Amino acid sequence: MPSRTLDHDPPGSASGPVPAPTRSAAPRRPGSGASRRLPYLLVLPTVLLLLAALGYPVGWQLVTSLRRFGLAQQFGAPPQWVGLDNYAALVSDPTLWGVVVRSVLFCVVTALVTVAVGGAVAVLMNALDRWTRLALQVALLLAWAMPIVAAMTVWIWIVDWRRGLLNWALVHLGVDSAAGHNWLAEPLSFFVVASVVVVWMSVPFVALSIYAGLTQVGQEVIEAAMLDGASGVQRLRYIYAPLVAPVLSIVMLLQLIWDLRVFTQIKLLQDAGSVANETNLLGTYVYQLGTGKGDFGTASAVSVLILLITVALSWYYVRSLMAQES
Amino acid sequence: MNRRLPLVVLTSAALALSACSSGGGSDEPAATSTADNAGETVTLWLAGGDTPDELRTYLQDTFASETGATLKIEEQAWGDLVTKLTTALPDAANTPDVVELGNTQSPTFTNVGAFMDISDMYDELGGDKLLQSFVEAGSVDDTKYALPYYFGSRYMFYRKDIWKKAGVEVPTTLEEFNSAVATIAEDNPEDIKNFSGFFIGGQDWRNGISWIFANGGDLATKEDGQWVSTLSDPASLEGLTQLQTIQREASKAPADAKDQSPWLYINDSDTILDEEGKQTSKTSLAAATIMAPGWAHWSIGDLVKKDGKQVREWNDDTFGVFALPGTDGEPAPVFAGGSNIAISAKTQNPELSEELLRIVFSPEYQKMLGGAGLGPANSDYVDSLGDDEFAQALIDSASNSKLTPAAPGWAAVESSQVLEEFFGKIRDTDDLAGLAQQYDEKITPMLNG
Repeated sequence: MPSRTLDHDPPGSASGPVPAPTRSAAPRRPGSGASRRLPYLLVLPTVLLLLAALGYPVGWQLVTSLRRFGLAQQFGAPPQWVGLDNYAALVSDPTLWGVVVRSVLFCVVTALVTVAVGGAVAVLMNALDRWTRLALQVALLLAWAMPIVAAMTVWIWIVDWRRGLLNWALVHLGVDSAAGHNWLAEPLSFFVVASVVVVWMSVPFVALSIYAGLTQVGQEVIEAAMLDGASGVQRLRYIYAPLVAPVLSIVMLLQLIWDLRVFTQIKLLQDAGSVANETNLLGTYVYQLGTGKGDFGTASAVSVLILLITVALSWYYVRSLMAQES
Repeated sequence: MNRRLPLVVLTSAALALSACSSGGGSDEPAATSTADNAGETVTLWLAGGDTPDELRTYLQDTFASETGATLKIEEQAWGDLVTKLTTALPDAANTPDVVELGNTQSPTFTNVGAFMDISDMYDELGGDKLLQSFVEAGSVDDTKYALPYYFGSRYMFYRKDIWKKAGVEVPTTLEEFNSAVATIAEDNPEDIKNFSGFFIGGQDWRNGISWIFANGGDLATKEDGQWVSTLSDPASLEGLTQLQTIQREASKAPADAKDQSPWLYINDSDTILDEEGKQTSKTSLAAATIMAPGWAHWSIGDLVKKDGKQVREWNDDTFGVFALPGTDGEPAPVFAGGSNIAISAKTQNPELSEELLRIVFSPEYQKMLGGAGLGPANSDYVDSLGDDEFAQALIDSASNSKLTPAAPGWAAVESSQVLEEFFGKIRDTDDLAGLAQQYDEKITPMLNG
């Protein structure tokens, strides 16, 4: 079996042939100071930009999370250093743990379902003829390109308790109790709706990434397997799956991180119904604490916690990338 | 998937936080003559579309002729007004000079020094003639920061035809109202599935608190300088019990419905037609009564075509209005809606901003507010509302209206949505007193900021 490694560029980025580096017109003397500095100079703008765009807000967040910072401070009152008090108050607050548990459960379940559905669509695409596949890809891209608020508006219409398509369809299928049923009132069905919406929005990315992985599997390998009498399921299980495993794991981790920070979908569904305090995930909880209540100190502390959880989750991803680099 | 949003939120939050470090207002030279002001611009933030265009133009024209400066009006959406004020007001370089904000949002900002002290202008702008509950909401002790801009209040819209078929009269006391709407729901004269005598969403606390107020209760009171939540006080509890009965017997609204567009349920001309244009199901009418702010009447009525557009036209035979009656037959104290207006503490144009307030509180502009159906801040000009039934219901219902507590933490209570949560649980609880007590314990610590 040819051992063919997949490339691990972030899915979606162009991974075509890289042009061979052209020889510099005026060769420099080896080891000159200028040529040693040059790479750093070239990297400098990126580093500065990253520092400005990421370092500054993160720094502010860390500083603010150690302060008592409310509306009065926002309007000029001197903030008071409270050390780790914000964190201590949070850690002993059952509300936060409720939110953390909900968020982690939501993100794990949603990411798993997304990758499962996305994988299935990718396998389907691999099996389709060219034009059907193209149609499917265009449909997927359209779903992906849909502005989030527009998509949410339609979803909210679908689950509307009084005139929603979902209840109408259920009633017509003979489920009479569905008339006027409110899907957003109970936290559990709220999260099922939210999860379906998030899955719908993320499947295109996952499906296209995995499909890209599948196309990397050499046709000769598949032919050899078919000659050996491997069934479709066996080919999927023993040839495709191991070969696209790296793509699967990266996609899975990205989904976990994105689903952990989900905000817009939850916020818009909360505005449409439900009890906000029973359906908060980390994103909406930070928003409610900071922008809503004006308690920026505690909100920053929660944001730092989210950062830590995200780092913990992506640690594996970064490490496996590093391992492949070296 | 929106994967950039969290970063954007974090970034903007951090930028907002940093905004306070760039403070430090500078003193502009006093503006005296119109020629000196030619290059100056004053920015006014209006909330939502409540102020009609005609009034905006009047403000701009008058401001230009009185001062020579330009008035820039920027409209902010109600939904993110608090957020925008929180980030813009502390920033001297970007603050709007004059802002409109919800009356109940005022205490949050007055207590942290966001607005300029305008006590010295108070008498000149109307003094005791100004709506006092709003003045209180905009004051800290005796210092005036925000003054009333306009008021509105909530009253009842009802279906005359259905009330009549159910054989009930327009109520004169709260008790009569409570039983009338229960009778209509039970009677259901049009035989419509899930029909509400009175449609009130479970989480709709802004209308629901009318029953607390009407029974002499309150959301919170100040005891020994500290605010205390009073949902479980006997009078509040009496009101909540009546509301529970309404939610159980008269209203078929979901427990998590809020107060958005209730007129959808009282209109009936959105009939469902089949291919031949015949009516298949009778109507999507779902309620005989709703409670809404006065301007809702533009959305209630028969569906007619006007200039090619479908619009609602009020029909006196089908629809009527009345102010919710109290226990004593007088109008019940309902939640007073409306806005306050204030000058940013960080404004670069204090004199011009004061000039703008003089125009807003001038008799001409006050009358224009009334003419547009907005309750004028100055009681001398309330007649300008006219004498139609809407004006009458507005004046009646506002005559006894009440504000939410002027506690420094009130905006935090609202944005934590804890009241939505509490009201949403009223219908299904077996222990209302216990539930009220539980939420008192949650709300009290938030009230004092």
